[in-house]
Amino acid sequence: MTSRWRHWLEERLPGLTRMIRRHVTAYYAPKNFNLWYYFGSLALLVLLNQLVTGSFLAMNYKPGIATAFDSVQYIMRDVNWGWLIRTMHTTGASLLFVIIFLHTFRSIMYGSFKKPRELVWLLGMLLFVVVMAEAFTGYVLPWGTMSFWATRVVVALFATIPVIGPHLAEWIMGGSLPADATLNRFFALHVIMLPLLLLFLVVLHLTALHEVGSNNPDGVEIRCGPKGNRWGKHYPADGIPFHPYYTLKDLVGVGVFLLVAAYIVFFAPSFDGWFLERNNAVMADPLLTPAHIRPVWYFSAFYAMVRMMPSFAGTAVWGPIAMSGSIALLFALPWIDVGPVKSIRYRGTGYKVALGIFVLAFVGLMLIGSNLTDVLFPWLFGANINLTKWTMIFGRTMMLAYFGFFVFLGLYTHLGWEKTRPVPERVRARG
Amino acid sequence: MDEYINRGRRRFLTVTTSAVGGVGIIATTVPFFQSWLPSASARATEAPVTQSLKKIEPGQQLITTWRNLPIFIVNRTPKQLAALPGQNPRLVDPDSKNTSAHQQPAYAQNGTRSIKPQWLILIGLCTHVNCVPTYKGQMKPEPFDPAWQGGYYCPCHRSRYDLAGRVYKDVPAPKNMQVPPYHFVDDTTVQIGVGPKDKA
Amino acid sequence: MIALSLALMLNSALSLSKTTAVLPTTGRHPLEQTALRHGARMFFHYCVACHSLKYMRYSRIARDLKLSRQQVMTHLNLTGGRFNDPVISSMPAALATKAFGKVPPDLSLEIRAKGAVWAYNYLNTFYLDPKSPIGWNNTVLPNTTMPFPLWELQGEQVAVVGKDGHQVQKLEIKQLGTMKPAQYRQATRDLIDFLTYVSDPAALQRRRYGIWVMLFLVLFTFLAWLLKKEYWKDIH
Repeated sequence: MTSRWRHWLEERLPGLTRMIRRHVTAYYAPKNFNLWYYFGSLALLVLLNQLVTGSFLAMNYKPGIATAFDSVQYIMRDVNWGWLIRTMHTTGASLLFVIIFLHTFRSIMYGSFKKPRELVWLLGMLLFVVVMAEAFTGYVLPWGTMSFWATRVVVALFATIPVIGPHLAEWIMGGSLPADATLNRFFALHVIMLPLLLLFLVVLHLTALHEVGSNNPDGVEIRCGPKGNRWGKHYPADGIPFHPYYTLKDLVGVGVFLLVAAYIVFFAPSFDGWFLERNNAVMADPLLTPAHIRPVWYFSAFYAMVRMMPSFAGTAVWGPIAMSGSIALLFALPWIDVGPVKSIRYRGTGYKVALGIFVLAFVGLMLIGSNLTDVLFPWLFGANINLTKWTMIFGRTMMLAYFGFFVFLGLYTHLGWEKTRPVPERVRARG
Repeated sequence: MDEYINRGRRRFLTVTTSAVGGVGIIATTVPFFQSWLPSASARATEAPVTQSLKKIEPGQQLITTWRNLPIFIVNRTPKQLAALPGQNPRLVDPDSKNTSAHQQPAYAQNGTRSIKPQWLILIGLCTHVNCVPTYKGQMKPEPFDPAWQGGYYCPCHRSRYDLAGRVYKDVPAPKNMQVPPYHFVDDTTVQIGVGPKDKA
Repeated sequence: MIALSLALMLNSALSLSKTTAVLPTTGRHPLEQTALRHGARMFFHYCVACHSLKYMRYSRIARDLKLSRQQVMTHLNLTGGRFNDPVISSMPAALATKAFGKVPPDLSLEIRAKGAVWAYNYLNTFYLDPKSPIGWNNTVLPNTTMPFPLWELQGEQVAVVGKDGHQVQKLEIKQLGTMKPAQYRQATRDLIDFLTYVSDPAALQRRRYGIWVMLFLVLFTFLAWLLKKEYWKDIH
């Protein structure tokens, strides 16, 4: 029965079985994936969650400054299970960023962005940017105070661009203030255009990956030896079929991840004001900026860069330049870090220290951006500390470290300063 | 191919995990399906509606709404009422005892399909495909019926009802029009949505 | 995850350091039914004259707090709203603006926005202030325009000021109200519990379902792990 059905389908759509073989059952992945390799499949899972819950939210949400805030409360209170659907969506948004940060870090750490996987990396970075746009447009929709001021602030970043800036800002908002036009276009972007773009990029990201094969914690290729592996003579010796081995492994990852996600959804949906912010429980008021303003946590590092850059020569464009530069440099990583060794396991001490500092710098910037240093510093150094001054010094040091990482890495690898350890011929056995 | 493989165990675990996972997926879809059921605010519109009858002239109809449905209220004249029994042979279910047994509360299951003969109260939807029938109260020959004694005419598929909302034979509509639960608060006020015994 | 929980701790520290008192923690569940019902009585007795809960229906309160329609309509709903209507204060906006300079805020989402600790402290730190036009002042929200509606219960508090004559050092009860201090703290806590529930009514169901979802996921993950282990025996 099954085979007849399959045969019928195969005759009419010959590419389907080929595609499943190519990407799932006969995609040979290195056998030594570790914990860091769960985040790719988890990102896909969360994306699916966002699409489904988002569609159901769109069925009840009403864009427009007079209706948006009320319709969110309508979802939370009147729609059957609306609270669950919305909380799954908001929790998913935050967790997607956790996943993306870890997934990207994995790629940096094991050199997955290096030749021949530069395109995979570029598509991944592009995905990151689109996800940020998706998060931003989505953040505006509930039309709380933070939604409003986030829009104002982000649009103001564009407005700092010389000459065209102010016109650009007006064009983005469809007026001089975020209003109905802004909300409606952001809604359309959030639910139609950006998701389509996202899906398209995910397909490209995976296709590009499967073209060159997955990297692994050892950073060596699983080449086809003369003997092949137990599934065929032409397959890589250290590769195993994605299905069933990695599908099952990822399933365990999914289970653990869902436990964490379910805990948040059912027991801490606002995550003490980090996933759903307190100020956004107040409807947007164009005349009142909340006293304690901070960006949502996943943007806080980039926001901190804007805060740490002083205005200069009569313009505030330096902050946005630093912020976009911090992401642009990531795009260029494959051409900055040209060290021949991929994985951190066999790279020079200089690299390990630099990467550690880079991570600390990013976390430090997050602490500043989310105003946590306002509590942390007095707690660590006493209540009399000059908060403004030390936050500035700390923040600028962290920025220097962030950008210094790329400068150092460029010099370190281009000038051949790196002393690497010998790389093994084949991936090391598991465990 | 390999002797160490315990095929029975593999099959058992595969089936069990798939079954448990399947239950999880199905359970997850339940909230999404249920989110399409009427929301609390939609249910709030289901509250009873109170309507004064003072301004309805004899022979006239007033249309109000209850649960967003059209509600017909007709002040039937004695002449109109007198013509009702005469229609019986031409009707599908004149006593509302057969196919139309559930088209009205028990207290309106009578010849006039009402609590008080004078007042006809109907949900104004044709029982064919839910169009709103037109009130043709005058007892005069109509193009669709030369012996018309007043009633309702549905423009969608030409179903016809008499002045008790009873459906005529040989039209697409199968049943008499529905009578909502209602009761009289006083002589000139009616509440739709709550029957005489259910009222608080 | 570690960074997040650190952030969480710091955030709690932040919210506590700004306030003058700490919400009393008894061992009981945060949204316990008896407390919620008592809190609801407090709200409809002392607050609804000025404050609405425009996102909260009477019928929902009845369902969640296990009260009958009649109990809600006769004991709580004093503004004449229908059972399915939201809780709207009977005070006209124009009158409110005239009396207080602004419309008293809707309290549906107050706890979500300000936090339970803030609101609890607010209700516990009113003191007599002859300089204030309404006769009352508050240490959590200085120069508040809200007259103290619970003064009969708490009594009259006065501020002990520091040497500069402005900084409030502590508050002392000058004249006891109808409640003892501990009783009053408990009563305001119940009121805040009710408002916490109002700001997120789904919380009541959420916890109930959450346990079962978590248990199910533990079972599923365990099975998946067994299955994965079984298949990975192939890989050497």
